[in-house]
Amino acid sequence: MSSDTALRAEALGKRFGRRGRALRDCSFRLPAGRVCAVVGPNGAGKSTLLTLAAGLAAPTEGTLSVLGTTPAAARPRVGYLAQDKPLYPQLTIAETLRMGADLNPGRWDAAAAEEVVAAGDLDPGSRVRTLSGGQHTRVALALALGKRPELLLLDEPMADLDPLARHQLMGTLMAEAAQHGTTIVMSSHVVAELEDSCDHLLLVGDGRIRLSGDIDELLAAHLRVTAPESAALAPHTVVDSRVTGRQLSALIRPAGPVPDAWRTSAPSLEELVLAHLRNPGAPSLVEESAA
Amino acid sequence: MVEYRIDRHSGVATYVQIVQQTKQALRMGLLMPGDRLPTAREVVEATAINPNTVLKAYRELEREGLVEARRGLGTFVRRGLGATPADSPLRTELEEWARRARAAGLERDDVAALFTAVLDKHFQGDPS
Amino acid sequence: MTTASTGNRPRTVRWLLRLHRPALYGWAALVVVLAGVLLAVRGPLTDAAAEGWRQYNACQGEDTACSYDQDAILRYKDWSGYATFAVTALPFLVAGWAGGALTGRELETGTAWLGWTQSTSPARWLAVRLAVPAAVVTAGAAVTVWLHHLAWSAGQGRVDTAKEWYDRFVFHANGPSTVALALAGLAAGALCGLLLRRTLPALLLGVVVTAVVRLAAEFALPHLWPAVTRLAGTDQVANGSGITVDEGYVTRSGAHVPLSHCAWDRPCADVVARFHTYQPRSHYWPLQLTTSALILAVAALLVAACFLVLRRRTGATHTAQAPAVPTGAAV
Repeated sequence: MSSDTALRAEALGKRFGRRGRALRDCSFRLPAGRVCAVVGPNGAGKSTLLTLAAGLAAPTEGTLSVLGTTPAAARPRVGYLAQDKPLYPQLTIAETLRMGADLNPGRWDAAAAEEVVAAGDLDPGSRVRTLSGGQHTRVALALALGKRPELLLLDEPMADLDPLARHQLMGTLMAEAAQHGTTIVMSSHVVAELEDSCDHLLLVGDGRIRLSGDIDELLAAHLRVTAPESAALAPHTVVDSRVTGRQLSALIRPAGPVPDAWRTSAPSLEELVLAHLRNPGAPSLVEESAA
Repeated sequence: MVEYRIDRHSGVATYVQIVQQTKQALRMGLLMPGDRLPTAREVVEATAINPNTVLKAYRELEREGLVEARRGLGTFVRRGLGATPADSPLRTELEEWARRARAAGLERDDVAALFTAVLDKHFQGDPS
Repeated sequence: MTTASTGNRPRTVRWLLRLHRPALYGWAALVVVLAGVLLAVRGPLTDAAAEGWRQYNACQGEDTACSYDQDAILRYKDWSGYATFAVTALPFLVAGWAGGALTGRELETGTAWLGWTQSTSPARWLAVRLAVPAAVVTAGAAVTVWLHHLAWSAGQGRVDTAKEWYDRFVFHANGPSTVALALAGLAAGALCGLLLRRTLPALLLGVVVTAVVRLAAEFALPHLWPAVTRLAGTDQVANGSGITVDEGYVTRSGAHVPLSHCAWDRPCADVVARFHTYQPRSHYWPLQLTTSALILAVAALLVAACFLVLRRRTGATHTAQAPAVPTGAAV
C-alpha cells in the first residue's frame, strides 16, 4: 500500500464561476480502511467534495491528495458512483460488466462484479434501460466494485431505494470493506441511514468541514448537559444551548470535569450533527488523530 | 451458527448487542465450544453494520475468554456459559423473595427498580 | 483474484464502436445509398440526359413538333441536385451527431463521468471519441466526394444543364473541402457538447457553428489564390468564366472602381476599360486545397478547444495509468 491515508485535504476550495463557492478552506484527513459518512444538508458541498476526490473536477484552491497521490494518478484505484448512477441504457448487464473489464485491464475482478449482480437475482442478459431503481444501482455498484478499488466514493448511494434494497446494498458494501479493507466514503443528508455502517464522519456545512474524525471519538468529545439556567458553561466549548424555563440544555465539548450538579448524557450521532448544523458559528472539530 | 439481529432503536450500542446475543446463544446451548462464530464479512453482509463493530464485539468476547481468534481460520468458541437450571437453589430463593415483596405491597415496577439497583451495586463495572 | 490481464491498455475503441453502433451502421448505410445514387447519376442518368440533349439540339431549326426525352433531362437535373445536396449536408449531419450523441448526451446523462472514472483519463476518453469518428467520417466522406466528382465529370460537355465547376455547392461537393468540413463539424459538435452538456442544444449549436465555418470558407475562398484579371472596352463585358473576385471599371489613372461608379444617368468620362478579376477553372485544385487547409486549421483549433474545456473541467488530463507499482498489489 502506498499510503495509510485515503484522503487528505489542505485548505481545499472550489468555486463555480460567479455562482459562488461550493467548498472553502477544507482541511481533513481520512485514514485508509475506514467507512466514512459525508453528511450535511443538500447543497452543502458533499457532491463537490466527492467529484474532486474522483478527479472529475479540479479544485480552485488548496490540494486534495487521494491514496497518497493526485486524484488523476489515483484514478485506476478509485471507484466512483455518481448520485444518478449513470450507465449506458443500451447495453445489457453482461455487456456493462464486460466494458468494466475492458476499461480496467489488470484490475478487474469479474467474479466479484458478477456476484454483486447475482445477489440481486438479475438476468445478465437484460438491458440496463429495463432495470428498476434498485437493480440499476446494483449494476452500477457492481461496475464500481469490479474495479476492485482501494477507495470507493459513493454520492447518495441509497437515495430512492426501497428499505430492502437499501439494506442489501449496504450489506454488500460492508462485506466489501470487511473482506478487502476498502475505504468507503458515502454521502447522505440522512444521518440515520449511515449511523450503523460508518465509523468515520465528515460533516460538511455551508462548504466548510464542521466535524471530522472517528465517530466514537467525536461522540466522546461531546457531552449533552442539563443545568440550572444560571449555570456558567465556560470554559467548555458550547456547540448548542437552549433555555427552557429555569433549565439550560446544551451540547458542549467539555474542557475538563463538569459540576456534579449537572445532569449529563452522551449525545447520539444525530444530535451531534444537528447541533452543529443549527449553529453555523460553533467552532469546528477536525481530529488529527490516528496519524 | 448464530445469527445476529441488530435493533437500531434499543439504545444499546451495536457491539454490545452482538456480545449479548453471543452470550445468550452460549447460555442456550446454541453455540458450543469449538463452534466457529460467523466471519465479520458474513455478519456485516447480513446486518449492514460496520465491520469494525463486529471486530470490536469479538475482541470483547475474546477478552472475556469466551472465544479465541485463530489466524486465517476464524473466531471459535472456547467455553460455554453455564445455564442456570430452573430448579437451582438460587432461583428458589429469588422466587421466595419475590413472593414476599408482592405481599409487602410492592408493584412490578418497584420490584424491577429495586432489583436493578441491587444488580448495579453488586455487578458494578462488569460488562453486561 | 484479479483476472489475467491481456495487454494492459484499456480497450476503449471497441466500446466506443459498441456504444455508437447504430450511428456507425447508419453512416455506412448512408454512404452506400449515396454511392448508389452517384453511380446511377454518373452512368444511366447522365447517358439518358445526354441523349435527350442530343435529340433536343438536333431539333433546332425545325418548326415541326420535335420529340426529345425531356423526362431524362429532368431526371438527371433532379437526381444530380439531390446528390449534391446530400454530399453538402454530410458535415452538418456529422456535427449534429457529434454534438448530440458523442459528447452532449454523455455529459447530460452523466455517462461521461462513468467513462472518466474507469482506468482511463478524461483526455484519452476524448481523444478516442475524436480520433475514431474522424477516421470513419474521413473514409465515408472521401468516398462520396470522389464519386460525386466522377458523377459530375460525366455530365460535363454532354449535358447542357450540368452545373458549372464554380457552383457554390458543386465546388465543395467535388473536393476535399467537404471532408475537411466534416472533420470541423465533428470537432465543433464535440466542443458544443462539452460546453453545453445538453443533447439538443449541443446538436443545434454544432450545426450552426459548422454552417458558420462553411460560410466563412466561402467568403474567404475567392481570395485564397492569386486571381486573374481580364480587361475589355468600356462598352463590352469583360467576362471570364469562373469565381468572380471583383469587377468594375478602370479609370484613366489606372484605379479600379466599382460598376456603380457609372450609370446610364451618370455617364463617366474618366473610365478607359472594364475589368473582371476571377478565378479560372485551372485554379480549382489550388483553391480546393487552400480552402481545405483553412477548414482543417479551424478544425484543429476546435479540437484544441475541446481538450482545453475538458482540462478546465476535470483538472489534470495527463495519463492516469498507474506508475511502476503493480496494480495487483492492492488486493
